[in-house]
Amino acid sequence: MIAGRGRQRIRPPRRSLQGDSDIDFENTWGTIASAFREIHTKNASRLSYEELYRHAYRIVLKKKGEELYKRVKEFEHEWLSNEVRGSIQALFSPNLLADTQSLGGTTTNERRVAGEKFLRGLKQAWGDHQVCMSMLADVLMYMDRVYCQDHRRPSIYTAAMFLFRDDILNSPTSDQDGRVVLSLLNHVILDQIQMERDGDIVDKHLIKSCVYMLENLYEDEMESEDSRLYSLSFEREYLDSSREFYRQESELMLRDSDAGAYCRRARQRIREEEDRCRSTLLEVTAPKIQKVVEDELVKNRIRELVDMESGVRFMIDNDRVEELNLIFDLNARVDPKKGELTRSIQKRIVDLGNDINSAALVASQAPAAATAESGDKGKGAAQEKSLNQQTVAAIKWVEDVLRLKDKFDSIWRGSFNEDQPLQTALTRSFADFINSTTFPRSSEYISLFIDENMKKGIKGKTEAEVDAVLEKAIILLRYIQDKDLFERYYKKHLCRRLLMNKSISNDVEKHMISKMKIELGNNFTMKLEAMFKDMTISEELTDGFKKHVAGLGDKDPKRIELGINVLTSMTWPLETMGNDDDEESKRPKCNFPTSIERIKLGFEKYYNEKHSGRKLTWLVNMGTADIKATFPRVPNKDGTFRERRHDLNVSTYGMIILLLFNDLPEGHSLTFEEIQAHTNIPHNDLVRNLQSLAVAPGKRILLKEPMSKDVKATDRFLFNESFNGKFVKIKIGVVASGNKVESDRERRETEKKNDDSRAFQIEAAVVRIMKQRKELLHQQLVSETLAQLAAQFKPEVNMIKKRIESLIEREYLERMEGAKTDMYRYLA
Amino acid sequence: MAEKQLSEYVTLVSSDGFEFRILRSAACIAKTVQKALDPAYGFKEDQENKMTLSNINGVVLEKVCEYLYYNQKYAKAKDVPDPDIPPELCLELLIAADYLQC
Repeated sequence: MIAGRGRQRIRPPRRSLQGDSDIDFENTWGTIASAFREIHTKNASRLSYEELYRHAYRIVLKKKGEELYKRVKEFEHEWLSNEVRGSIQALFSPNLLADTQSLGGTTTNERRVAGEKFLRGLKQAWGDHQVCMSMLADVLMYMDRVYCQDHRRPSIYTAAMFLFRDDILNSPTSDQDGRVVLSLLNHVILDQIQMERDGDIVDKHLIKSCVYMLENLYEDEMESEDSRLYSLSFEREYLDSSREFYRQESELMLRDSDAGAYCRRARQRIREEEDRCRSTLLEVTAPKIQKVVEDELVKNRIRELVDMESGVRFMIDNDRVEELNLIFDLNARVDPKKGELTRSIQKRIVDLGNDINSAALVASQAPAAATAESGDKGKGAAQEKSLNQQTVAAIKWVEDVLRLKDKFDSIWRGSFNEDQPLQTALTRSFADFINSTTFPRSSEYISLFIDENMKKGIKGKTEAEVDAVLEKAIILLRYIQDKDLFERYYKKHLCRRLLMNKSISNDVEKHMISKMKIELGNNFTMKLEAMFKDMTISEELTDGFKKHVAGLGDKDPKRIELGINVLTSMTWPLETMGNDDDEESKRPKCNFPTSIERIKLGFEKYYNEKHSGRKLTWLVNMGTADIKATFPRVPNKDGTFRERRHDLNVSTYGMIILLLFNDLPEGHSLTFEEIQAHTNIPHNDLVRNLQSLAVAPGKRILLKEPMSKDVKATDRFLFNESFNGKFVKIKIGVVASGNKVESDRERRETEKKNDDSRAFQIEAAVVRIMKQRKELLHQQLVSETLAQLAAQFKPEVNMIKKRIESLIEREYLERMEGAKTDMYRYLA
Repeated sequence: MAEKQLSEYVTLVSSDGFEFRILRSAACIAKTVQKALDPAYGFKEDQENKMTLSNINGVVLEKVCEYLYYNQKYAKAKDVPDPDIPPELCLELLIAADYLQC
């Protein structure tokens, strides 16, 4: 811009601006120094800033900046050493100093007062120093700007701060004492904080200003962030002493108080320290002290805390929701996985679960032991009783487990903030004890529980309640590892319910199935659904056959009605139904009376017309029959005669037996062997049916000679003509046909069958995998097989190995020659 | 002294006795002036609301005041017109600017 203004000369500046060239440095400095003294004694109003500034300006222009800088520093050094230090030292009361050597001798209150006086004095000195130095610095602004920047010196203000650090804080407290003021300051602050921790009220504001002082002073000239006196000197000591304090406190509290109180205290301490950082110290310390407190009070102690007598176990048992929440919170602070808490919770679950398991085992075995002692007499009844007992035990087991589950769920909701990892841990623990190898019955028990509810439990309940019950069962089902075993039991129980019409509501049954379908997938429920389908088809068949018979025009008044269930042999667990004998393979044809035989043939013909190529096998042992029985007149008490009719509901075998007596002349009897010869009923079934017809009290349609509970081959039976029943309809159940817990032998059988079917499933899985991969390492094959079957059950590795061997034998696979580790190839 | 109401105008006095009353806010653009008038320090200048600049003459100080207002006016503006500066004053103005730190 100047260039555009033509050729005017720029004159040199006049001399006057530079002032007298020959100013005397010493004189000028003398003026400045005396002015500084005035500033330090707060008499600035008499001074002219402009004059002082001009003096300094001139000195700097004279290239005497370095000299000036040095003089100012010297001046400040002298001032601090002579004036300020003295006033600070005057604050060291005997109380304060005494305390630094020994803790005893002075009361807390005296110490606090002395400490506050010291802090106040120091704060005052610091404040004055700051104000004066900023005035000085402004007067010497020109020097700062020109000299300090050019020569890379710290500004005079900064330099003066260092002087304060060196001359005041790092000066010895007294001539004899080696300690410096800084360490005394740290000590006093810590002492004050300690007093606050012990419940005293201290001047937080005062401490905070001293802390600010430490924050604004640096250890070295670089003023780097981490060389603040605060972090280098005070904070370190603070953390150390806090660590020590909390270590002792935690030890004391663990010894003297219970876990709940400990937790409350710890939480309170953590909050206190947080507040302290905000109100008394600096926020930057918060995470550090937090860690110290957490380390000392929680991390190093959590194990002891959890295992205390009044620890987690006690809290769980006594439903101390709030305390558990505290522990959870504390543990979460130091360990996002909450390892210790999880560990102890899991242990408690497994312990409680195992208690339930063994209680169930004891309950189911105790009566069994009693049976062995009671000898032969009444063995059957006792056995039945023991089976009942076992069922009760099973139901109790399920309910106990559910109660346990409810308990932990509510704790989880109430105390653990619905923490996800903890829920996983809970689930795992439940699965652990439910699938415990020492307790193999959980699948059976759960199925029994459902069975019991389907038959009785849900009577008179609302839909919502029923749903809750089913949901519970599903929850347990989720824990079951060997789903295939459960399926087997469920099928068996369902089968009984369906065929014997024991189920209260078909809708509920279907509802349950659909729930299982959601939970376990289509595969699982396919066969169960097929069972329902069979039932529906059978109803149609029955109706159809009825019409068919009516259509034949055979108006026989004695016509027998037939209700039939046609069951697909693959889907129904026929082998587990009723027939305990091992002769089912050569199931003997039982001889039907002609009237029955005729209708049976009729149905077979009708069925074969509808579905050609299917073979019907009659499961006589599963059927029931309604018979109208007429008993001869007997004289009543008043002398009249009355004919008595009863509708008897008996098993099919029972019906066959009774029909034999129809053809018998009055008073004649049949021996056991004769009955067997006539009917060809399997021995066991015959015994049971005769027992229920002749032995069960109140329902003796037949009389037995000799009268005893056991049926022997030589026993004779005759029609009980004087039978007198209270009801018109009488149901004669067959002994031990209810749904009970399995006996040991049955269980072994079930397990064997289960193993067999598992073997097939494993083979299928192996082949599926190999077909896809063609070649695979042994280890990989095993793990993939495990993964595939996880939804159904957890096979043993040994079993997989055996299946692989067998597949190799049958040339589905081959071992690869020359491979380092075992490897297989699929043979198409 | 902190409670004292700050006057709106302050007086700058040149070495040859000219007095310039200018807005405090403008005057304080010069750091030296600002510090001299800082109420927290309470120097004589603050008590009197007057600062004597004994090494700047009236001509230069007038230009300085002009510049202070100019600076304040265009502090946030764009496309600022150049100030009118006589070349013969350039050097003296530079020195004054250095002294006043503005």
